[in-house]
Amino acid sequence: MSEVLDIEQFLHTERLPHIWCPGCGNGIVTGAFLRAVLDLGLVREKTVVVGGIGCSSRAVGYIDLGTVHSIHGRALAFATGIKMARPDFTVVVLTGDGDGAAIGGNHFIHACRRNIDITCILFNNQTYGMTGGQVSPTMDPGDRGTTAPYGSIEPSFDLCRLAEAAGASFVARGIAANIRPLERLIKQGIQHKGFSFIEAVVPCPTEYGKRNPPAGVIAMLDDTKARSISVTAAAKMTPDELRDKIVTGILYEDDEAPEFQSAYAAIVERAQAGAAEAPARPKQPAAPRKPRKTAPERPPARNGEAADASGLPLEGGE
Amino acid sequence: MERWHTHVLREKIDPSSMLIQGNRACALGALDAGVRFFAGYPITPSSEIMEAMAVELPKVGGVFLQMEDEIASICACIGGSLAGQLAMTATSGPGFSLMQEAIGYAIMVEAPLLIVDVMRAGPSTGRPTAPSQGDVMQARWGTHGDHPAVVLAASNVADMYRLTMAAVRFAQRFRTPVTLLADEVVGHMRESFAPELIDRYRLTSGDFDFSPSYIHPELVREVHPPHVLGSEAHPHVTGLIHDETGFPTNDPQKSEKFLRELYDKVGNHRDELCLYDVKNEGKGRVCIVAYGSCARSARAAWKLAEKEGLQVEVLHLYTLFPLPVEIIQKVARRVEFMLIPELNLGQYAREVRKMAENWTTVISMGKIDGTLITPREILDRVTELVGKYESV
Repeated sequence: MSEVLDIEQFLHTERLPHIWCPGCGNGIVTGAFLRAVLDLGLVREKTVVVGGIGCSSRAVGYIDLGTVHSIHGRALAFATGIKMARPDFTVVVLTGDGDGAAIGGNHFIHACRRNIDITCILFNNQTYGMTGGQVSPTMDPGDRGTTAPYGSIEPSFDLCRLAEAAGASFVARGIAANIRPLERLIKQGIQHKGFSFIEAVVPCPTEYGKRNPPAGVIAMLDDTKARSISVTAAAKMTPDELRDKIVTGILYEDDEAPEFQSAYAAIVERAQAGAAEAPARPKQPAAPRKPRKTAPERPPARNGEAADASGLPLEGGE
Repeated sequence: MERWHTHVLREKIDPSSMLIQGNRACALGALDAGVRFFAGYPITPSSEIMEAMAVELPKVGGVFLQMEDEIASICACIGGSLAGQLAMTATSGPGFSLMQEAIGYAIMVEAPLLIVDVMRAGPSTGRPTAPSQGDVMQARWGTHGDHPAVVLAASNVADMYRLTMAAVRFAQRFRTPVTLLADEVVGHMRESFAPELIDRYRLTSGDFDFSPSYIHPELVREVHPPHVLGSEAHPHVTGLIHDETGFPTNDPQKSEKFLRELYDKVGNHRDELCLYDVKNEGKGRVCIVAYGSCARSARAAWKLAEKEGLQVEVLHLYTLFPLPVEIIQKVARRVEFMLIPELNLGQYAREVRKMAENWTTVISMGKIDGTLITPREILDRVTELVGKYESV
């Protein structure tokens, strides 16, 4: 109970009730994020949360930190500017699957590639909730949306694999049905130096659930819970067994990958030392990327010992 | 010869004989005005501004970002601006089109910002290295909704320096994005110029004291309290219609009040924002109203006309928006014709006509073949007009 009161300090309670539908998972993820802020003892003035447009991004209107409700798809570009202008800020982006992976897909891969020290929490409800349940790039093929009344014919994005391939140095997935592990992932993501991507799988019973089984929020939560599986367990499974599974936990982590803002600070140092006109340094071969912790669709790059740190209790843990 | 690095220009070359490219003069002006944040995406014919910033900004501890596209560039600039940096981007027509949604956001959240658009012939890819003034109305009405716009136009290298500084000052004082238009030829041409000689280029209503701080000490009164991230107020910033608190409102009265104030903060200060230069004041029956590269041709046409025994007035506009209503109507009252040469099909002539048609005949002289309008072409048109009049 006291924890609830504690996170109230980070909420504009006068702006409540929120606009989210009954059964929506967005409040769960927002709560998990605020508990992470509380636990990490982040300074209010130096914590900036940027949202785009959509249900998920509306969270910034209730959060009492520095908040920017930006334009559709561009939250990461805003956040990049903010982080570069004020490297001392903790910058977090709250986005959705439409905002972050469709209209904002280009900014998403480039923010990953730069490995700039921003934490991106993507609320994945597999649909455009605010505009009435249209097809999103994470909707499973065959699912129905108002713009796919006969079922979606598009393959869906695995956003964690996309983030990792694009260069993010911390990639994790959690589900709204397992709050504590999600909260821990968010906390670890914020602490990680570099681009952290956390996909939070949330139910949208109103726009997604009413067209796609299982209907109803309890059934939807139970379903994601039943389908979720830890990275540790996933590492021992075949691609066939992993079909339809939601792999949760830290999927990729590399603490040594060069971070963009620090690299830029080094450039400033060089330029100020008068090195701008010096011949460019001989090209360094790029360091090989750290292997994946698990490769759900491929044989694991490293087995056993690599995956144990990220194994999170999934069912009934807390 | 111009050297690549602007600092070399400044330190090693006699300032009275500095040869510099328009785009680099713009970068120099921005740095001297206190711009310490640049995010952009390469595009002809504006890339030299970005390249100069890439060299200079790290030296002064500023931020330089090459983003993945123009949308990201302007969004990063708005982010930088909200976090308290004087931010700037530079682009050309196609990139400027991509930026339009975000420009509306910057206007809405009152984020000071400088956007330089070095115009090339359009539409679409058009002719990237041909000069044009086709973005005039885009600069005014490119983003959706009713909004104010501050748009300046540079006609030579000196303008690229001093109007950049003026634009930064306006952006700070009015807390709004300011667009500086240049045509390709202004961005790419090289002229001898030195910042130290700026006094020689003073404008009618301009003195360019600028505040080096992000929040101008003399904000115009209509500006809402600035929301700066990192301040104790830990603000909420949104592109939704909002009130002074920064939070969205659906209240009709508050919505209208907010939008009216956005409009008024620019419209009520035309006397300060409208920069222009009148040459050969009150002489002749024709006034050539021009901006950008055409203004140079107009000035040359006036000299040429004088030699040939004809008097022509020239109104050189440095500010296109807000509309310089007062000076245009003043001149319109005393001339029989207003001739508007421009590198488009009369975009600004239509604006002038709205203001002046009660008093004078407004003639558009548009050119869209990707070449400049020469002084002789202007003078021929003037002679034709005057002759026409005399034969009536």
